[in-house]
Amino acid sequence: MRAVTDEQLIQWVADGDTSCLATLFERHHRAVYRFCLQMTRHRSQSEDLVQDVFLRILKNAGSFRSDGFFKSWMFNIARNVTLDHIRKARRYPGESMDDDVLDQHASDQRSAEQSAAGSEKMNFVMQALAALPAAAQQVIWLGRFQFENYDELGRALGCNAGTARVRMHRAMALLNSTYTNMHGVPIDA
Amino acid sequence: MPDNKTPELPFDAENPAEQQLWNALGDVSAEEPSPRLRQEFYRKLAHASRPTVAAKLREWLGFSGNAGWLTATACVLLGLGAGQLFSAPADDQERLAALEENVSMLSRSLILDRLENDTASKRLRGVMDAAYVAGTDAEIATALLQRATQDRVPSVRSAAIEALGTQVKTPEVGARLMALLEQAESPLVQMALVDLVLRNGSSEQMARLQELADNGVLHPDIARHVATSLTRDLI
Repeated sequence: MRAVTDEQLIQWVADGDTSCLATLFERHHRAVYRFCLQMTRHRSQSEDLVQDVFLRILKNAGSFRSDGFFKSWMFNIARNVTLDHIRKARRYPGESMDDDVLDQHASDQRSAEQSAAGSEKMNFVMQALAALPAAAQQVIWLGRFQFENYDELGRALGCNAGTARVRMHRAMALLNSTYTNMHGVPIDA
Repeated sequence: MPDNKTPELPFDAENPAEQQLWNALGDVSAEEPSPRLRQEFYRKLAHASRPTVAAKLREWLGFSGNAGWLTATACVLLGLGAGQLFSAPADDQERLAALEENVSMLSRSLILDRLENDTASKRLRGVMDAAYVAGTDAEIATALLQRATQDRVPSVRSAAIEALGTQVKTPEVGARLMALLEQAESPLVQMALVDLVLRNGSSEQMARLQELADNGVLHPDIARHVATSLTRDLI
């Protein structure tokens, strides 16, 4: 039997049934959190951003188009929320420095686990990804983990499928050159 | 990165290093948010869901949305009109008929308004009112069918199904209700549909019901109820 779709739930939220937002939150908050964490490298700030994303969804539910794709719409909001946050953080750089930042220690810890699992390169890949401009990180993260086709990815990025594909290839080329610069050799060396 | 699966976006890079990077990203470990996130979200959602004073007042008055206020205004105007009519000479049959028609229209718009209300209890009330006139009013029958097939509250759906009564035999209503039966997840809704078909359905609909029961589409208890009822009818 088929579950109620995200698109149906957001329509009900728009109709005034805010309880349906809880179902959408349960379905998607982890994915939004991981996206925000990738962008901010800060756990508690990412959790605050997730709250902002879902409250913005509640506020703007009426503007969701009935022929739209909820997940793209949601990540479009998440993208804007995190970009706003990053811009503010750049303007006031001292505020985000606390022990909740994903620091080198966390990276080392992750690295140790991954070495044990035989995937040492993973940590280097994540370091290279984190060094990319926000827009490139967003394209790669959303494309790699959230969407199955370029049409949906394009909607989340606010562009068409063809542009999304071009942006993805550019972002991956940048990731490759960043990885090579950081570690001296390309990943396939 | 979703919870249990990674969607597969097609990415074919000409550079093998890019392809390897793409593949390596698939192994990234997933970090869980703290329990604080969920607690905070539900606290904020509860706060955001609190009705405003205006909404509470509308609820208290029994109106919701613009249609409710329009209906209330129409009632007042109609009352004033009726008062004037009855103070005029009593032999004006045409005006009385016009008044009757106005009352009927008002009643219809009240039912349609209730069927679209945000509050489930008011929609349920609308369903009960609609049950009396759905047989003779196509627009209300359509609105009732919409409640039966799309309402988010199972009790409203099942009440609307019951209210459709003998209309299950009409081709359009019958087809949509049978389609609903194939998709309905709620046993409450399934039961209401099954009862309706068993009571008023055509022989084709009964046969389809038997198929759905045999194929495991229906809740096991309801499937047994269907089997028992159809066997009893055959005997």
